[in-house]
Amino acid sequence: MDWRWDFTFEVVMPRMIEAAGVTAWATVASFCLALVGGLILMLLKQHRSVWISRPTTEFIEFIRATPLLVQIFFLFFLLPDFGITLPPLTTGILAIAIYNSALCAEVYRAGFEAVPRGQWEACVALNISTYRTFRDIIIPQSLPPIIPALGNYFVAIFKETPLLSFVAVAEIMQISKLIGAEYYRFTEAVTIAGIFFLVMSLIAAFMIRQVENFVKHRIVR
Amino acid sequence: MTDFAIQFDKVCKAYDDLDVLTDLDFAVRKGEVVTIMGPSGSGKTTVLRVLMTLEEIQDGVILVQDEPLNKMYKNGDLVDADKAHVRKIRSKIGMVFQNFNLFPHMTALGNCIEAPMYTKGLSKQEASEEAMKLLAMVGLADKANQYPSQLSGGQQQRVAIARSLCMHPEILLFDEPTSALDPEMVGEVLKVIRDLADSGRYTILLVTHQMGFAKEVSDRVCFIDGGKIVEENIPSEIFENPKTERLQQFLSKVLEAR
Ligand SMILES: Nc1ncnc2c1ncn2[C@@H]1O[C@H](COP(=O)(O)OP(=O)(O)OP(=O)(O)O)[C@@H](O)[C@H]1O
Ligand SMILES: [Mg+2]
Repeated sequence: MDWRWDFTFEVVMPRMIEAAGVTAWATVASFCLALVGGLILMLLKQHRSVWISRPTTEFIEFIRATPLLVQIFFLFFLLPDFGITLPPLTTGILAIAIYNSALCAEVYRAGFEAVPRGQWEACVALNISTYRTFRDIIIPQSLPPIIPALGNYFVAIFKETPLLSFVAVAEIMQISKLIGAEYYRFTEAVTIAGIFFLVMSLIAAFMIRQVENFVKHRIVR
Repeated sequence: MTDFAIQFDKVCKAYDDLDVLTDLDFAVRKGEVVTIMGPSGSGKTTVLRVLMTLEEIQDGVILVQDEPLNKMYKNGDLVDADKAHVRKIRSKIGMVFQNFNLFPHMTALGNCIEAPMYTKGLSKQEASEEAMKLLAMVGLADKANQYPSQLSGGQQQRVAIARSLCMHPEILLFDEPTSALDPEMVGEVLKVIRDLADSGRYTILLVTHQMGFAKEVSDRVCFIDGGKIVEENIPSEIFENPKTERLQQFLSKVLEAR
């Protein structure tokens, strides 16, 4: 194999470090939006009016049933037709966030349903308000199943970011392709891309473990 | 004002197609201790759950201290009461469940102060002082900082009783409070309930299969079957001189089982 260290350090690394920043930002931003979006979708889906719950259910099913790449293209090429022109990175973050909102909604639902009905009933009997019931009783008890599942989605989102290279977002995959094409050398760029993904994955997994432990010991005990 | 704490007037409750309560008329006077007995599936739990606003009724009227429970009169019509009204009525009622339903992520003390702190606006210290008194009353002052999983069933149920007393209810509902307990723990819970009954401060509605206990603490026993009260009387009459055939059958079956 023909590997050139000078090329690796002088050309590949600086551009890949910059690209890693884009990947990290896309991951964190999509994840945060998906956390909030998932909660909103779950609440809309549970809404007592069918005029709200039905379309939400259909929307979630639609999102889950179509490939993320198609949704990215869809937003990228269709939003401008509606007069909305966003930078590719923003469009991409939005697409990943919407897709994962639909998945997170299921995680929240499963988490809340895992809390026994008797807990709700005790809250009614004690006249605890709905808000307090959620905040103090239901959410703390639904975190143990929810947190690890959300952690998995964090890693999944991270691994979905290369799809953004299809709309020319300058994340790790896109940059490694560009470097390869510019210099007719793919070995270093693609290898470094792989190593970056591995290292960032490990960091993410470590952070998730920290959060899980924190929740286990501080909130749920 | 009547001296009734609870009145059911032609109350109907069905789960989907299954009629559970059919035109149930039933009343409990203030300070009275009433036991509800009946075969499995006869609707005993349903009576308590309806009172606790855990279930909606399809027809009829329920009055709690002469006020409608979760319906209200507006211009002569009975309509759904607003939240504030329901909360006000509900605050008069406390319920103790068969499975305790303690909050597993909170200590015994935490369980007791959660509701008073936010619904009565007490400070943590005020709520804790009061809760400690009630935990001491049920004999668990030394377990205040234990989590439910660290307590025995009998202890958990006593915490649950203390928890509902912290809200100062006037009416207490007990749904088979000792059914989920090992036999050796039944006594400690019954003792607490007996003390509450003897204090005369509460109107108590008790569902239990503990015949001896029912006979001892209740002012009146209602035998319910098929969603209706079949026979009601003072305990000695119910147990020693049952009039209806259905009650006679029920009692002989229960006694046989022992
Ligand atoms: N949530 C529900 N959905 C459908 N049916 C129900 C529901 N809860 C109770 N039932 C039915 O209603 C009937 C009365 O139930 P209830 O729990 O009041 O009986 P019970 O007298 O308390 O019986 P047990 O002694 O077994 O506790 C039963 O036939 C039961 O199967
Ligand atoms: Mg029952």
